[in-house]
Amino acid sequence: MSENADSTQNRHFLLRRLHSLSGIVPIGVFLIVHLVTNSTIAWGGLNSRVDQEGFGWIDRSIATFQHEVSFINNMPLLLLIEITLWSAIGFHSILGVYYAMSGKGNTGAYKYGGNLRYALQRTTGYFGIFFIFYHVATLRWGWTWLIPGDAVWSHEAASSTFAAALRGSPEEFTAVGMVVAVFYFFGVSSLIFHFANGLWSAAITWGITISRPAQKRWGFMCAGIGASLMILAWMSIIGFATLDYDRAVEVENAMHGEQIHLNSEDALDAVTLTGHDDTDG
Amino acid sequence: MSEAEAYSYDADMRKANRKQAVEGRSVIFKIKRCDGPGKPTRWESFKVPIETGANVISSLNWIAANPVTVEGTKTTPVVWDSSCLEEVCGACTMLINGRVRQSCSCLIDEYAPKEGDTISLEPMGKFPVIRDLWVDRQRLFSNLTRVKAWVPIDGTYNMGAGPKESHEQQQMRYALSECMSCGCCLEACPQFTKEEDESKWDSSFVGAHAISQARYFNEHETGKQLKGERMDALSGAGGINDCGNAQNCVKVCPKGIPLTESIGSIGRSATMHAIKQFFQGKK
Ligand code: SF4
Ligand code: SF4
Ligand code: FES
Repeated sequence: MSENADSTQNRHFLLRRLHSLSGIVPIGVFLIVHLVTNSTIAWGGLNSRVDQEGFGWIDRSIATFQHEVSFINNMPLLLLIEITLWSAIGFHSILGVYYAMSGKGNTGAYKYGGNLRYALQRTTGYFGIFFIFYHVATLRWGWTWLIPGDAVWSHEAASSTFAAALRGSPEEFTAVGMVVAVFYFFGVSSLIFHFANGLWSAAITWGITISRPAQKRWGFMCAGIGASLMILAWMSIIGFATLDYDRAVEVENAMHGEQIHLNSEDALDAVTLTGHDDTDG
Repeated sequence: MSEAEAYSYDADMRKANRKQAVEGRSVIFKIKRCDGPGKPTRWESFKVPIETGANVISSLNWIAANPVTVEGTKTTPVVWDSSCLEEVCGACTMLINGRVRQSCSCLIDEYAPKEGDTISLEPMGKFPVIRDLWVDRQRLFSNLTRVKAWVPIDGTYNMGAGPKESHEQQQMRYALSECMSCGCCLEACPQFTKEEDESKWDSSFVGAHAISQARYFNEHETGKQLKGERMDALSGAGGINDCGNAQNCVKVCPKGIPLTESIGSIGRSATMHAIKQFFQGKK
């Protein structure tokens, strides 16, 4: 074999395996961390360290989430971490689309479970890219024109502003807000399926699971991982979609050390939607 | 891995059909016809009286003797390929009711138990059609060459008796040896797509049969000698990494070959091969 053929062959192998690996580290790992953080809106009440005078379960949840978001925003080299993630996601997406286009689904004729997973892995990939783009563009890059009601997400008022972005308005669901929330639900669920199924097939790709029983056992574990992540994701979405906006604002302000009166419209305006357009602090 | 599992998709349905098969019935064969490479395709239907124990090949024989469509038009006899008539050569593989399998072992009772039931026959879609149901499986064989699916014994001196093999190893390799190069695993694979351009065959997906045969010969004491070359071929474009793990191959393989285990095993060999190459710095 010529030198040339060897190098193409090695490049092919390297790209394929990097594609597989990048889905787990860093993307998969980040997905887990992100979902654990976000779901604190539902279970953060367990966290007594953020407790303040008069705080109930939901207040501690809001406070915990705020605490986590502030922590992340104060991390050193945050931009570097972000750039690593964006490039990994970009790499995984571009190569993934290219690879997916090389195959031709046939679930019509062969309705096997594995074939359905194969097809779903591709659809959830496409949909996931679309969702991640929307998610990052609106909440991180500040493309507020894509958010109904022009809400601006702010890491200083993390829960309240996200609830507003998800619902289409601070207080209640608007029709477009509903669409956004449903989009979030399917987007996140797609990505989790993609991750769990990817974990399962990566084990075959790398030759970790060989025997049929091993593939099956690992399959159950991946399903377990997927199901747990789904629960975290749905808890987060429900948590934010049903969040008491005013209460959240109050807790967030309490955390920043300013006491704001619950019913004072002026005071609310100071920290809410229009007040913050610097999303990265 | 049992035979039952290989056909598990609708085994129950086929068993139930066999029980209620009506004697003396006639069945309609809807056949996708094509007069030659690159020629347009058309569908023709034939009404065939079914005898006890009839299969698709015996029905095709009847059609060859009576090439008249249901509309009463005389046509050319339908062409197909077959040889062993006992599901060991793979030549008669085609799409029956849209799914790939051997036609010689396909009993009419299981597919069309009642008067006027229809069975559709099409040539495999991933290989070039020579005529009607007859396809050219050359690419399948060429892919076996790509992975050097043989034991190297040619040389200038006598290599003596082969090395001993353990019983377990024999059992494992026996299952892999049963491949009859039929092409079912390629036809059902979403990653194995039709490629007319022969020059692209070597960089398109090799398919489960070749991956499994590479494992078969890698595990052979003498066949091992070519393992490095096989792994070179399988690490490149169209090799093991192009498998999308849909696992259709193992579901349709008529010989119940544990193809997905071979894919995992070759995946492991490819990982090891790459690590070895990286640290030995040969390439
Ligand atoms: S497991 Fe791989 S070889 Fe088998 S059908 Fe799926 S993609 Fe094709
Ligand atoms: S592995 Fe099975 S399906 Fe594939 S060619 Fe061999 S016998 Fe046919
Ligand atoms: S004729 Fe040989 S398998 Fe059918």
